[in-house]
Amino acid sequence: MNENILSIKNLEKQYPNGVKALKGVSFDVKQGEFLVIIGLSGSGKSTLLRCLNRLHDPTGGEIIFNSKNVAQSQGSEIKELRTHIGMIFQHFNLIPRHTVLSNVLMGRLGQMGTWRSIFGLFSKEDKEQAMKYLKLVGIDGKAKIRADQLSGGQQQRVAIARALTQNPKILLADEPVASLDPATCHVVMDYLKKVNQELGITIICNLHFLSLVRQYATRVIALKAGELVYEGHPKEIDDAWFEKIYGEGAKEVHIN
Amino acid sequence: MNSFTLRRSIFDGLTFGFLICILLIVVANPTDEEWLNLSKNSLIVLASFLFSMILSEILNRKSIKTLGEALFEPDYKKVVAPEMPWYMTFSKWQLIILLITLFVVGVKVTDFSLLKLLDEDGYNGVKRIFTELLNPNFQLLPHAVLRMFETIFMAFLATAFAIPIAFVLSFMAAKNIMKHPLAFTVYLLIRTLLNVIRSVEAFMWAIIFSVWVGIGAGAGMLALMVHSIASLAKQYSEIVETVSEGPIEGIQATGASKLQMIWYAIVPQVVLPYISFTVYRWDINVRMATIVGFVGGGGIGKLLIAYQGQAMWREMGCIFFVIAIVVWLLDQGSAYIREALK
Repeated sequence: MNENILSIKNLEKQYPNGVKALKGVSFDVKQGEFLVIIGLSGSGKSTLLRCLNRLHDPTGGEIIFNSKNVAQSQGSEIKELRTHIGMIFQHFNLIPRHTVLSNVLMGRLGQMGTWRSIFGLFSKEDKEQAMKYLKLVGIDGKAKIRADQLSGGQQQRVAIARALTQNPKILLADEPVASLDPATCHVVMDYLKKVNQELGITIICNLHFLSLVRQYATRVIALKAGELVYEGHPKEIDDAWFEKIYGEGAKEVHIN
Repeated sequence: MNSFTLRRSIFDGLTFGFLICILLIVVANPTDEEWLNLSKNSLIVLASFLFSMILSEILNRKSIKTLGEALFEPDYKKVVAPEMPWYMTFSKWQLIILLITLFVVGVKVTDFSLLKLLDEDGYNGVKRIFTELLNPNFQLLPHAVLRMFETIFMAFLATAFAIPIAFVLSFMAAKNIMKHPLAFTVYLLIRTLLNVIRSVEAFMWAIIFSVWVGIGAGAGMLALMVHSIASLAKQYSEIVETVSEGPIEGIQATGASKLQMIWYAIVPQVVLPYISFTVYRWDINVRMATIVGFVGGGGIGKLLIAYQGQAMWREMGCIFFVIAIVVWLLDQGSAYIREALK
């Protein structure tokens, strides 16, 4: 439980237009924890997550994963890294015209030959695994339905199943419930908790709502304008910290 | 000089320069000999172009907004521009004078005259051609239908051969896929090549191929194919450039390769518009196949040009009839298919 699965040291990201999204962020991620990143929109949360699986290229600093710095990796090394790190998104990012099962099978793409995947030749084990994870997120009854016919919450559960089919060590979640209604919010968060506790997958999750943070996070870090301003237990975020993270005059919104 | 001032200067240079040249022609009233003196005339045109670019710069420095400025100025300048009624702005008057001059010059150059349409000669001409065209010689019908089939299949084969090539090229001609510096070079090369090929019309390709492989439907098919590849690749690549980024990120995050990303994240998004454009391209190709036949591409066009040469208008009426029916049917059919694909 105390072993670091990921170490971020002095991570920097400057976009080509000159905007500095991350200004030297350092923190460790422990094996099996549910780490939540909070902060205002534009504080660099999404950029940070996308640097971790190299959807974005950091411009400085180190990301130590499996005792190797992956911040400067290129080409096939990045693909190999991504197979170990699943990711889900605010807008689910499924392929709308494909079936639920086909979407989940896409989690295997990084670990199979290009030509086999283009002809859709997924192995029997792959399919069994995909169904297993669909069952885990309670949506196995809809395997043959097109992904765009599901509700938002269901689509996000399919996205979780797709990420799990990669057999990842870490699951990144970028605002996973930001486009869902409050009730569905908890359903999706509960599945993430289940993934974290039952499968022991480390979760790094961006969230807006503090009430959700208190309920699900085992540890919290806060970003403000690209810098790390808080690191600690969710219960320790009092009013003073809240103002420091979100700025004076901000009020907490509760969702039930 | 940044790219917006350059664009503004070229645009104003062309519009003002055009007006100056027209003014010079009206004043100097050049003789036939002077009209053909290309080198001297080019110098005059170039001089008025350069003068106009300077004029545009001066006007804009004095904060008189020219049409080029109004067209190309960046958004941050548009926001601070004062609100003015249209008749008080220089640029609107520039546009109006330009359009009127273009119209007048156009009428002059094309020798367009309502009189010629309506005088006695014109009346006899129109009477002759319409009585014969509308009284077609249907003895030619079997022959025309046969040739029409040739044309339709010429167009079909050209489209079919063009699809796979345009499909592959379209991804290489899409900016959002070719981001890597090396890939971007390939992108530029392919874009340029496609533009050059498209700027040569299908009937010009038909002339080239009629010498290359000999006159006939084969040459016409090749001409249409080359043109279709360039057109389809351009249209396809524009669809690729508008796909949503979400699914791309979603697939990339699984560790997929570039080819897998294209196949799983992009192709499902583009396949319906691709089919729609392809059906439309076939439709266009059937019409173009007629023209292509004129210049050695075989099919119905070849028949048409033969009878036109002999002024056999009743036979042409029959051919017109067949073409019109087929074009109308295809037009309707392809519209229904494209509607259903939406």
